[in-house]
Amino acid sequence: MASAATRSAETARDKRAEALVASFERAGYTRVAPAVLQPAEPFLDLSGEDIRKRMFLTSDPQGRELCLRPDLTIPVSRDYLASRGAGKAQGFCYLGQVFRHRQNEPSEFLQAGIESFGRPDIAAADAEMLALGLDTTAHYGVATPNIHIGDVGLFAALIAALDLAPAWKRRLIKDFNHKTSLAQDLERLTISASHARPEYQGVLAALAGSDPKGAHALVTDLLSIAGISAVGGRSVGEIADRFLEQAALGAQTSLPRETRALIERFLAVAGDPDEAAAELRAIAKNGSLKLDAALDLFESRTGFLAARGVDVRRIKFSTAFGRGLDYYTGFVFELHDPRGRAEGQLVAGGRYDGLLTRLGSAKPIPAVGFAAWIERLVACGGAA
Amino acid sequence: MSAPFVIAVPAKGRLQENAARFFSRAGLELIKPRGARDYRGTIAGLGGVEVAFLSASEITELLGQGMVHFGVTGEDLVREMIPDADSKVILIDGLGFGHANVVVAVPQAWIDVHSMADLDDVATAFRLKHNRKLRVATKYINLTRDFFSAHGITDYRIVASSGATEGAPAAGTAELIVDITTTGATLTANALKVIDDGVILRSQANLVAARTAHWGESERATARLMLDRLAAEARGRAFREVRARLADNHDAMLADAQKRFRVEVPFGNATSSGMVTLHCPPGEVHALASFLREQGAEAVTVADLGYVFARDNPLFAKLEAGLAG
Repeated sequence: MASAATRSAETARDKRAEALVASFERAGYTRVAPAVLQPAEPFLDLSGEDIRKRMFLTSDPQGRELCLRPDLTIPVSRDYLASRGAGKAQGFCYLGQVFRHRQNEPSEFLQAGIESFGRPDIAAADAEMLALGLDTTAHYGVATPNIHIGDVGLFAALIAALDLAPAWKRRLIKDFNHKTSLAQDLERLTISASHARPEYQGVLAALAGSDPKGAHALVTDLLSIAGISAVGGRSVGEIADRFLEQAALGAQTSLPRETRALIERFLAVAGDPDEAAAELRAIAKNGSLKLDAALDLFESRTGFLAARGVDVRRIKFSTAFGRGLDYYTGFVFELHDPRGRAEGQLVAGGRYDGLLTRLGSAKPIPAVGFAAWIERLVACGGAA
Repeated sequence: MSAPFVIAVPAKGRLQENAARFFSRAGLELIKPRGARDYRGTIAGLGGVEVAFLSASEITELLGQGMVHFGVTGEDLVREMIPDADSKVILIDGLGFGHANVVVAVPQAWIDVHSMADLDDVATAFRLKHNRKLRVATKYINLTRDFFSAHGITDYRIVASSGATEGAPAAGTAELIVDITTTGATLTANALKVIDDGVILRSQANLVAARTAHWGESERATARLMLDRLAAEARGRAFREVRARLADNHDAMLADAQKRFRVEVPFGNATSSGMVTLHCPPGEVHALASFLREQGAEAVTVADLGYVFARDNPLFAKLEAGLAG
């Protein structure tokens, strides 16, 4: 953790940002200042290789890859996991520079934000993040930003409820964050589920109906007869499993048109949260889909937002809204300047319940948070 | 403004031999005045030109920075090392050597993986099962990232590799590789196979111009002269000279030959005595010779062409267009 002197040097140029973080502290969040220099591995692992071209990378004398932190969520999470309080309900706030190559804006910029770990009251914690996000824009004079929200958990619940091969469920969930691939997936699912090569088609078809255990043993044996041993981290068993999964996909008739239409109808739902919830309940009922848990959470969250004084009719919800990052698992939101004075979101965040496990936590720890782009907020001006 | 025109060519190995032969055929003899170990040279009979003998990656770097005017290097390095390459350099011409493909290769044991879509699925399944990502060993970090991104693959990690990449899966340091291959023999020897739609780039040695180098009157004049010779040599290689004395009524027949055999008529139609000179692609020579005799020609001679200097200079035109754009 940086000294108070470093911290003041970092932020002396923005007193208003200091006042913002002080308000986070008053709301019960402990201020932290993680190291600027971070191991590169967790960022590449969690945000994907695409972030590499935007990162400032360097290495230490042992050749380990280091970077200037491209965000603060991962550093705050790592410090929390390394602390004695790991696993307990704790909230942190921060203000500091982050570093990313950007085309039209400086590559070094300030972010303030909050990370809340370990709270079991999911809906209330989600609502608190959005409410604090709104306080943040208001602090800079943007009292009524455009509010976009989504819920990755709803799409996951839909896919889980559908009668689809596991391989397809995996893909659709992954591609939710990459909308063009999702459209392609649906297209391909509808036309034909098989993409095996013709020379294997016969074998796959023959194996499709057979006893899974026997088929697995056969494929494993064939691989070992051919003298093929495990290379490159995937075991022969894993290869056989997926080979047979392909067989199952090939045998499955293509996705019924009504299922595709259902997914598309689901992803077209947009509006204020109350309207959207009613529409989603209707879709679930017509399709006999069990989405109750996800929808209950969604409605409960809306309730907490209203209780916090947020005018929920101003919120623009869309089932298709995701933040393009694989680690979000539930509620996601972005706040934008209604007058378009800043490029990109002013505040953005969401729930990332899987992140701490992927950073090495033995048990899952719920987590939610947001970050604010200080320079963009300043650009929106307004009275202090 | 007496800075020399600099052309960077490979200093070592097959690429050097091929490049030297290529320039020599075009009448541009690369000379090392202080002997073979010299890393600076000139071109015989061409003043104001400096030849820098460097490694292919150094050449690529200097082209990207505009520190040399021309360079000979592989397209793979250009695409990998120069961000937004087309805004920095102009690929003037493929030189016909140094062919290699940059490919995605996986273990042959992966009988369930044939396409990039398969790999996408395997990558996600692998991450869910092992709680870590598939590792891709490569020295082509940017090409890999862009290609994987275009295929929607996100569950992977790049492991930078500086040599013997094909050994990484067997050594356990990566699950798959992105590497360069010419015949595929090295991949096969390491029990790897190329994914069907996994060819990222078909590369060869290129003559490359740096957009951001200084291009004044004299540099352009030098470039024009060099490209004129290179174009003349290239055109000479692309055609055979065919001469014949034709029977009557040859105009219609020549038009037919041009269409059928991609023949060019550099000096116009036949003379009053029926003599004509044609330029014909090597692959069409025999068919053309048969055709001409069927049409009444007594004899047909075919000869190699050294150079064909035409009024237009397509390579220089490409340079000019690139510098203007």
